Amino acid sequence: MSLTYPLAELTLDNGLRVVVSSDRAVPIVAVNLWYDVGSRHEPPGLTGFAHLFEHLMFQGSRNVESGQHFGLLETAGASLNASTFFDRTNYFESLPSGGLDLALWLEADRMGYLLDAVNQENLDNQRDVVKEEKRQSYDNRPYGDSYERLVRMAFPEGHPYAHMTIGSMEDLDAASVEDVHAFFRKYYGPNNAVLTIVGDVSEEDAFDAAKRYFGHLPAIPQPPAAPNGTIGPLEGVARDDVVDDVPSDLITMMFRLPVDGTPELDAAALALDVLAAGQSGRLNRRLVRDEQIAQSVSGGALPLIGGVSFGTLTGIASEGVDLQQVEDALVEEIEKLAAGGITEDELLTVQAQAERDWLEQLATCAGRADEISHHALLFGDPNRINTRIDQIRAVTLEQVQQVAARWIRADGRAQITYRRPASTEGGEQA
Amino acid sequence: MSSQILTTPPAVSSPRPWTFPVATSTATRAGTPVHVFDRPGQYVATVRVTIAMPLVAEPRELEGIATIMSRTLDEGTELRSANEFAAALERHGAAYGVDVSSDALHVEISVPVSHLAPAVKLLAEAVTMPAFNQADVGRHVTIRLGEINQERANAGYRAREAFAATMFDPSTRRSRPTAGRPDTIRPLTNVEVAKFYRDNIGPGRAQILFAGDATGVDVAAIVDEAFGDWTAEAGPALETPEPMYVVGDRIVLVDRPGSVQSQLLIGCPGPDRRTDIWGSAAVANHVVGGTITSRVDTVLREEKGYTYGTRSSFTAPRKGGIFTLSGAVRTEVTGAAIAEALKILRGARDGLTDREVSEAKDNLIRTAPLRYEQADSIAQQVGSNIAAGVPLDFADTYLAQIAATTAESATEAYRGYVGTNGLLVVVVGEAKDVRGQLEGLGDVTELS
Repeated sequence: MSLTYPLAELTLDNGLRVVVSSDRAVPIVAVNLWYDVGSRHEPPGLTGFAHLFEHLMFQGSRNVESGQHFGLLETAGASLNASTFFDRTNYFESLPSGGLDLALWLEADRMGYLLDAVNQENLDNQRDVVKEEKRQSYDNRPYGDSYERLVRMAFPEGHPYAHMTIGSMEDLDAASVEDVHAFFRKYYGPNNAVLTIVGDVSEEDAFDAAKRYFGHLPAIPQPPAAPNGTIGPLEGVARDDVVDDVPSDLITMMFRLPVDGTPELDAAALALDVLAAGQSGRLNRRLVRDEQIAQSVSGGALPLIGGVSFGTLTGIASEGVDLQQVEDALVEEIEKLAAGGITEDELLTVQAQAERDWLEQLATCAGRADEISHHALLFGDPNRINTRIDQIRAVTLEQVQQVAARWIRADGRAQITYRRPASTEGGEQA
Repeated sequence: MSSQILTTPPAVSSPRPWTFPVATSTATRAGTPVHVFDRPGQYVATVRVTIAMPLVAEPRELEGIATIMSRTLDEGTELRSANEFAAALERHGAAYGVDVSSDALHVEISVPVSHLAPAVKLLAEAVTMPAFNQADVGRHVTIRLGEINQERANAGYRAREAFAATMFDPSTRRSRPTAGRPDTIRPLTNVEVAKFYRDNIGPGRAQILFAGDATGVDVAAIVDEAFGDWTAEAGPALETPEPMYVVGDRIVLVDRPGSVQSQLLIGCPGPDRRTDIWGSAAVANHVVGGTITSRVDTVLREEKGYTYGTRSSFTAPRKGGIFTLSGAVRTEVTGAAIAEALKILRGARDGLTDREVSEAKDNLIRTAPLRYEQADSIAQQVGSNIAAGVPLDFADTYLAQIAATTAESATEAYRGYVGTNGLLVVVVGEAKDVRGQLEGLGDVTELS
């Protein structure tokens, strides 16, 4: 289906791109900012900085006390958060529409004047919080370091995607308040961001409010572009075999994929879906249902803008099954896909699933605002939210097979395995 | 309009009044109630079948049978094999899922409204004519055994399991995992699973919910076409028993070698939706530990940097709630973090301030339209209301309770439970590093 969400765009004199999508169905409004800075922009020695900022941005700014950002917005009925990724950092809140001015004022104050509030004390505190986040999200869970190890193998040293957003704790420990100030001045400014407003407000009122709160902020010097990450498919097989006290043996394969925004990437994503998505995917049918050598399989593409993307396939071995069998079956299915392509029925199924995913993503004002910011910032075209389904539906069987044969290859992969030590093999605890 | 630098926050205008969406209710020819929530613009609909299925109906030696039964509903039907069923459903762009809670089974699909009718037919096929072949049941038993290994490696899961085992009397179902343990899962065959299905699943125990854009779609007719011929012999559901708590101040240490953090779960009995303090308890919780600006996180995260964050909540199935505060803290500060948390939880009994309570009320009331913006969240909420035995629009009652809450009534609701009959502290972490830090905090029981 074609979508017709309304979109209006305006660029302020200071370079801030503002996109408004009015929707009066529910009395709420979503505010969403994407800054063009992610972990791919971090030079060596400063890994984890983009994500550290996501934390510092809630610690107050010139006119906002520490803790007040959350306090004021929560009282206004907001749901709010922020996230950091390879390509960008985003900040967002949804709240009853009468709170739009408050949300914009808070976002503008920290865009313009965060550094008034960044000092040694809150840097030290948030560094501690980030370390606990890393322990909770990576170190204290089985297989928690798998992606960190995989991207190191899938991309050459120094490549923008060769390190994860959480970064290195050593780099964060070495950071001084001056380093932090310099990073902010380099990337945080109106001309390096997109502001999206979706919901219960007219286009005119939304633009007026954006001008009212952001109009006075000065532009920053053009930030340095992220290093060019353009690179072809992986050549050869890079392996990392871990023996650890994991609950079950697991294998994850990683492939480089084409850059986002291309029909090739859409085709690659659909190819991985045919293998790994849903209950009817080839890997679930074969490994889980028919041969029962895996407890579960998963996978998919992770679209990225910096010259290359990546995708993964994961299998967890059934109790008592040698992980090698899972690896062999994955390799066979990968080779079969590259050689024989997929059926029309498979293509229509993964396209239908992608369509539902996309409609669900746009079903809330917050989700729509996030995708509008995404497509405005990374592709310069917010209207892609209305045409994505048509783009995915336009992918052909031939495109899927061609892209699979070039990028999703058994002899072009990075691979990590986790195996239990021999003594506990097959040991199932009561 | 000229731009200016404003040094104080702009005013927030009052939100429009909001009430929970209203359903149009009918019934199928089989007598199953159908509730349609028409949400224009919600192109992906959720159809949810909620079936009363209290876990106390499970034989003690086969606990987890409800979970295995639920997971095998779509693994082959009288009309299709497991692979054929998945292919048919996914071809319509639908996603299928089941959830077993302590009072009900929920089976649902989310599907673009344009594919509603065929997808609902398939949903009905899974719910009303499952095949329960031994190969499929056996496979799910094996998968569940692997899942138990994953759970044992998960610090948060281990904490919840130890909490239930210690908070509820060991004779009761609530003290044991919903999805069963290896010794109760292993003996399951398709014969027992099919019998459990026949005894517990039928049109008289079910209610069917639709939430989505129903413009130009006769949802009631589509549901009746799919579910109208459903016949089954299941009798009325057993009544859920009252909870049996074990109270008192206690510390339970679960050894998880290799942990770099300690997972904490601190709690006590709490109210359920049958009492009218459900709303004021939620307000008190919001102040004490419900958000990043709460009393607990202000100290543990923002002042001390002990944790990425903690959260507390009052939760309840149909009967018998609990209060819990959960979070992970650095191993070296485990004892200090528990002491701080207990001090704050107990200290809140001395009273919540007018300002804290007023801000919490504003947040809980004003976020309601956000919580129910998406079709699926409406179906989830209403399904959970049915399972809990409260009206479909219970969200309105809850919001009215919150609006009537004062600092005094919030404090009273909190004092009725938290710290009244002791607090249970569960710690999952590296026992050899944590043990010494727990001295002086209370009697410690160790589990491995």
